[in-house]
Amino acid sequence: MNNKTLLILKKELRELFRDKKSLSMMLIIPIFIPLIIIGMSALFESQNNVDIETYNKIGFDYELSDTEIEILKSLDIDYNIKETDELKEDFNNKEINSYITKDGNNYIINYDEANIESSYAAEMARNYLEAYKSILEESYLTLNNVDIENFNNLLTYESKSIEQQNFYANYIVNYAFLFILMAITVSATYPATDATAGEKERGTLETLLTFPIKSKDIIIGKLLSVTLSSIITGLLSLILSIIAIAYVGNAFSIYEGTTLLNSTIIICSIIIIIAFSIMISGLCIAIASMSASFKEAQSALTPLTFIAFFPGMIVFLLNISNNAILSIIPFINFSIIFTDIANGNLNILYLALMFISTIIIIILVIHHIIKQYKSEKVLFNN
Amino acid sequence: MIKVDKVTKKFLKTNKKKEKIEFIAVNNLSFNVNEGEILGILGPNGAGKTTLLRMIAGIMQPDSGFITIDNLDYKNNEIDIKKKIADLSGNTKIYGTISPYELLKMCAEIYDVDKEEIEKKIKNISKILNMDNFLYNRIEKLSTGQTQRVNIARCLIHNPEYYILDEATSGLDIVTSQIILNFIKNEKVKGKTILYSTHYMEEAENICDMIIMINKGKIITTGTPEEIKKKTKTTNLRDAFFSLVGESNE
Repeated sequence: MNNKTLLILKKELRELFRDKKSLSMMLIIPIFIPLIIIGMSALFESQNNVDIETYNKIGFDYELSDTEIEILKSLDIDYNIKETDELKEDFNNKEINSYITKDGNNYIINYDEANIESSYAAEMARNYLEAYKSILEESYLTLNNVDIENFNNLLTYESKSIEQQNFYANYIVNYAFLFILMAITVSATYPATDATAGEKERGTLETLLTFPIKSKDIIIGKLLSVTLSSIITGLLSLILSIIAIAYVGNAFSIYEGTTLLNSTIIICSIIIIIAFSIMISGLCIAIASMSASFKEAQSALTPLTFIAFFPGMIVFLLNISNNAILSIIPFINFSIIFTDIANGNLNILYLALMFISTIIIIILVIHHIIKQYKSEKVLFNN
Repeated sequence: MIKVDKVTKKFLKTNKKKEKIEFIAVNNLSFNVNEGEILGILGPNGAGKTTLLRMIAGIMQPDSGFITIDNLDYKNNEIDIKKKIADLSGNTKIYGTISPYELLKMCAEIYDVDKEEIEKKIKNISKILNMDNFLYNRIEKLSTGQTQRVNIARCLIHNPEYYILDEATSGLDIVTSQIILNFIKNEKVKGKTILYSTHYMEEAENICDMIIMINKGKIITTGTPEEIKKKTKTTNLRDAFFSLVGESNE
């Protein structure tokens, strides 16, 4: 590395580590990630372990046979027999979660789809009707001298989950990674703004430009300092996330029997964090250096936070599969490769493509910024 | 020697009707600054002094014309030229979060000062400018006068051949202004070449060997202070300026 670049890097790091705002952005934001991981896990756990008594109250507007009562008891359904109007009132007053009305052989399950307890109750009502229907079918077949066993064996099937990781584990690991990317983005914006638009606003950029240093050395020095600060934030976030994930893995039953993280995921995360930090730092410096003031730069950089987060979220939610083209598309590639790795599908080619494409994009971005720094429009636009 | 040859600089300005209009800040200026000379560039605010000096300092490029320093041009020798000059203006800002010592060390390294010489130079400059009491304090904690002394020290650290001083005493109190004027006189004794822009005519009259008066981007007169006064039949440069501006406006 050029001696002048090192001098600029040293100057920028000195300013960065002595500035309380930059330091807090770099070190405090990662602290929120474990809190989010623990909070989300607690929410999942509470949703997954809903007490049956909160949704098992079902009303009936007809008399129940002994067989039906037996089924209801076996399903833990708290039943209540009343007139239809009374059931409607009870349902509106939330005294029952759903109710079944009967018209001849047609049964209607009444429930509120927007209400989660009511939806659970409707599911229980369906189970009750399926069980009762099956008993009635068997009686009917016996009456008509049909061999029930042969009849039932006309077609058999079973469901078997082949998913290695459970849904919640997958969710929390992917979201932890997205939060790390978001933390890096947020923490990169402040030092990048301070090193470019901030320096311009304070008037020190003009002084710096009178020094015998090439624009290239100034930009690379600044880029390296912002990248280093982003990597520190990223690695700190990763360490805290690993600790938080290890904690929730033991503390919450939803992750039981699942290995949330392994060494491959951690090593690949470090590679992706480094590539992402280089990318986001370069973009932040490019955008902020075009701004006339600190405030303008901050406004211009705000959308980057969303750009860093949403492609990853979409990739995860839509379960998009990776390919060589997606591996070179900025922002999508970081998340999609991580999701693949978290699912146990490490593809070295895609990882290499992501890294190489990031380096190429950053070289182009740096080239663009160096050209800008020679432009008086950028330097004296305020 | 600094040679300014037919230099022009234009900017686009937006008028009240939000139309972009061309504004000529520096209009076809030519002059030379000889070694060991203090050249005063005088003119009112907006005359084009800062733009001219920014071009000479290499942080702006002329739209037409040439600037050479010791026969070197910025296009091919930017780093070599910048090593020869020190730029100081009334608006020059320096890094607040570092100490004068750290700033001077950084500047010395940037200007490739011999590593073994750096400590000695810093101590020497600190002593000359009476900076020992605040050499290790953060610059943001210093007074305006102390900060300006640090700025002068920054200029001295690489022993430049040329000083570009743009309104260096503007807005400063009398004591701090005197520090800068003394610094200019001392460097003159050492044979350094100084470009000094100001709108304080009396100040220029006292320290400059040669004067260029500019108004609206154009040179309105050049000469020694005595020659200008004689030419305009006035007793001081202030009156001389008004006499010439009156003529040029006509």
